[in-house]
Amino acid sequence: MPLGILIALVVGGIAGIALLTHVFGFSAARRFADADEARAAFLREFPETRIDRVTLSADGAAALLETEDGPALAWAMGADTSARLLSEVRVEETPRGLRFRLPDMTAPCIDIALAPEDRAAWHSASGGAR
Amino acid sequence: MTPDLSYPDVVQMAVPIFIALILAELLWIALSRRGGRYETRDAVTSLVMGAGNVASGIALGFLAWGFFMLLWQITPLDLGSAWWVVALCFVLDDLRYYWVHRFGHRIRWVWASHVNHHSSQHYNLTTALRQTWTGTFTFMMVVRAPLILLGFHPAMMLFCGGLNLIYQFWIHTEAIGRLPRWVEAVMNTPSHHRVHHGRNPRYLDANYAGVFIVWDRLFGTFVAERDDERVDYGLVRNLGTFNPLRVAFHEWAAIFRDVTRPGLSWRARLAYAFAPPGWSHDGSRDTSAAIKEKHLARHPEDRGTPGFS
Repeated sequence: MPLGILIALVVGGIAGIALLTHVFGFSAARRFADADEARAAFLREFPETRIDRVTLSADGAAALLETEDGPALAWAMGADTSARLLSEVRVEETPRGLRFRLPDMTAPCIDIALAPEDRAAWHSASGGAR
Repeated sequence: MTPDLSYPDVVQMAVPIFIALILAELLWIALSRRGGRYETRDAVTSLVMGAGNVASGIALGFLAWGFFMLLWQITPLDLGSAWWVVALCFVLDDLRYYWVHRFGHRIRWVWASHVNHHSSQHYNLTTALRQTWTGTFTFMMVVRAPLILLGFHPAMMLFCGGLNLIYQFWIHTEAIGRLPRWVEAVMNTPSHHRVHHGRNPRYLDANYAGVFIVWDRLFGTFVAERDDERVDYGLVRNLGTFNPLRVAFHEWAAIFRDVTRPGLSWRARLAYAFAPPGWSHDGSRDTSAAIKEKHLARHPEDRGTPGFS
């Protein structure tokens, strides 16, 4: 197959499929309905770790957890979730909330939307340096 | 000798079919609200990974091809190009695929290349295209050496490898349940391959087959999909990014970081590169064997059942 046609097919195919998935409503992000859902998302990644406390963000897109191994985050990854312990975290304030930077190539930067009045508590509980 | 044997690039020829089938699956899921899940960024990441795989093949394919042709020059054997030779080559290449795939899950150096294929939490036809950009650097092309030395022309072997890859495309779907018993007994199917993509402790390190599931049955790695245990797709520790560059290179970066840690013995450094994924010098991480053992400690009733025997 000529390279030009292959490139056109690939670029057009990716663009078309992306557009269709969006139009069909498959871009909606996961939201935790309650603390139990956030807890389950964390335990999915860290089944051995005891969770002491869960704080949901107002939009339900993330949760800050206090665990036996220290603070942790569970958050929406598209329609799914991911979770990390927050060792060596750096926290920055953004216009929409907080940005958690981890020395982890697979989750280097986690943006959480938070109301201004919640940010100090999340920052403090996460144990993050500025 | 048959030095000028050539076959079509079947994978490139199949690209329009891949796109058409993805559209069909997407429409089916959108209209029927069953048969799987799609998510925009996940799908785009998978498709970009697929495009990058084709690009890396074009850019780096000459390295493997040069190695294969070198072997072809030195082997005194030439099986020719009869149809039965192609058929035999397909079957033996599938056996080769089984072992390369098994190494891909059991040797961290090879896993660094293969991990991206398992990094989606979805299981649909786009997942099939979430392919490696770094396969050349695993040096798994050496596993093809015996076939060439036995007299299978490199072009025939790559043709069979392409057919193998195309076969595996359609099994990356939740839209197909289980097939007739004889098919499930012999062939790799959507059901068997769903298990392979599972992060459930039971399903880890199972069903490495490409086309024929008989290899797993033969070598003791077969686990059947269970109605009472839904497959949870993705990695043991799921990614927190959709960035294709991070998806492609994260495990290589992790190996580099581990191997260059200060204060390790050379044995530990080698183990960080070549031991099973999850190995660590201080036991702070879990291999799949450790994950299964910890699961059994929480669920002793599962001991001895498929995936835990």
